[in-house]
Amino acid sequence: MTGGLTGRLQLGLSYTFLITLLLLVLFPFYWMLVTSFKTEDQMRSLVSMFWPSPFALENYQQLLSKTEFVSWYGNSIVVAVSSTFLATAVGTIGAYALARLRFLGRGFMASATLITYLVPPSILFIPLYAQIKNMGMANSLAGLIAAYPSFTVPFVTWLLMGYFESIPEELEEAAMIDGATRFGAFYRIVLPLAAPGVLAAALYAFTQAWNEFLYALVFITDARLRTLPVGLASFITGDVYGWGFLMSGAVLTTLPVIAAYIYLQKYMVEGLTAGSVKG
Amino acid sequence: MSVPAARVETRVASVARARRIGLERWLGADYRLGFLFVAPIVVSVLALVAYPFCYAIYLSLTHKLVGVPPVFVGLENYLRLAQDGFFHRAVYNSFLFTFSSVAFKLLLGMAMALVLMTPVRWRAFWTGVLLIPWVAPTVVSALNFLWIYDGSLGVLNYLLVKVFRILPQGVGWLSEPGTAMASVIAVNVWRGFPFFGISFLAGMKAIPGELYEAAAVDGANTLQRFRHITLPGVKNILIIVVLLSTIWTFNDFGIVYILTRGGPGGATMVLPVLAYETAFGAQRLGEAIAVALYLLPALALTIVVLARYMRKGRKR
Repeated sequence: MTGGLTGRLQLGLSYTFLITLLLLVLFPFYWMLVTSFKTEDQMRSLVSMFWPSPFALENYQQLLSKTEFVSWYGNSIVVAVSSTFLATAVGTIGAYALARLRFLGRGFMASATLITYLVPPSILFIPLYAQIKNMGMANSLAGLIAAYPSFTVPFVTWLLMGYFESIPEELEEAAMIDGATRFGAFYRIVLPLAAPGVLAAALYAFTQAWNEFLYALVFITDARLRTLPVGLASFITGDVYGWGFLMSGAVLTTLPVIAAYIYLQKYMVEGLTAGSVKG
Repeated sequence: MSVPAARVETRVASVARARRIGLERWLGADYRLGFLFVAPIVVSVLALVAYPFCYAIYLSLTHKLVGVPPVFVGLENYLRLAQDGFFHRAVYNSFLFTFSSVAFKLLLGMAMALVLMTPVRWRAFWTGVLLIPWVAPTVVSALNFLWIYDGSLGVLNYLLVKVFRILPQGVGWLSEPGTAMASVIAVNVWRGFPFFGISFLAGMKAIPGELYEAAAVDGANTLQRFRHITLPGVKNILIIVVLLSTIWTFNDFGIVYILTRGGPGGATMVLPVLAYETAFGAQRLGEAIAVALYLLPALALTIVVLARYMRKGRKR
């Protein structure tokens, strides 16, 4: 039958397309990993292009011992973790209020939050820098922790508003008829139900803060206080170190994000679609 | 005559309740918890977005050097930019970068979603892996491609020259004006298309299967089904994703900054990088903000339209 034949042909084309896409998507990461285990000599001689020979750990050893990479790692963790906690706390209660509670200005704040989420950092980074500097927080991790809510809070709020709206309102009403206060209904009924959404939102906020480049580049001048993206980028202008060295740093920078992603992949795919484009 | 204490208490309580009901009528039934819960957002939006935004508009009307108080000059920064050839080129580059990137992301994302709608196995695996460029740090991806594109030792030249023998000799992908922009666009597309694909896929999954069955009964072919069922079904998502990506791409700083810094000779200079260079290279903050804000009317319009679509999508 022609139906079966075209069906199989279509499926074959689908797999061909997916495998091509897969190779294109994964190759840069594979290449980063391979490069990080190559010696400088091997790279210059263009032998055994696609596998390290000898398999060397010297890039990693040098990276950890001779640069400030370890401090940058600590800085990134401090900044990403604190701004994640901040954004998740502020965003969760705010999103609940905007999704459920009746009060003056709710519609306006919901719109304002969404619009804030859409304002790009590239038009805010200069005035924010001036502001942070006036407050005496330029060139400090505190300045970054203070600035990152500009994008994490609106994002988490917008994402969780959708999540709270999807939880049936009857559950809270039943709890309140049974004598719970509004806050009690939120804390005991809604929050536990929303836990997966809150976790996904927190993970997103963490990824965004971990990956953030522009503010960190502008606000921080002291080399020791850099976050990972800025530290890594500083290697290319330095030109002292080789590519294997740079790629080992890139591998270690990517690991936490990919680990978090693999762990919570399902939530992230759902969260991504629910948060940005639902409907 | 003394009023029993208990009666006084109830009177006080009832007056308080009456006042509260009055307030509740004006401020909403849950105003106390509502205001309390929203206050932190109000503070962060005001302090971190609204105030800096207004400050930016003010600074763009001044001569502001780093470390020196601003001097008001009116529209001078904007007028000067209007006659600056290098700025014109950056505007042109920004549009070229944005529209080509978004167009390719749209095509690739649509293809990805359509293919994942066919009965392939391990759908969760494919979507999971294909989304990796979207979650990986932009700086890391940009550095990976900087290394892949490298003129002398890069693997792209190695593949094209030594393995597939398509090119007679290596190309300086990022150092030649003819290829730099296309190379930068390719990285943006690589990073961004999974978001398009995953969003379209979510939209397509929500289309009721009966529509396709009915169309098949009516004898509609694949193309007709795509045009009359799939495309209308994902229309809203498509508009949202395209507008969202247009804003993000237009304001993408990291990829261009890492790969070319706007070079060679301004061939890939886009507005966010120009704003950064003007502010922290040339130290002219007022002019730099004017660069960043020059296309604000267009950005504001896009944001308003997009916000309307996003809220509409939620309400359904």
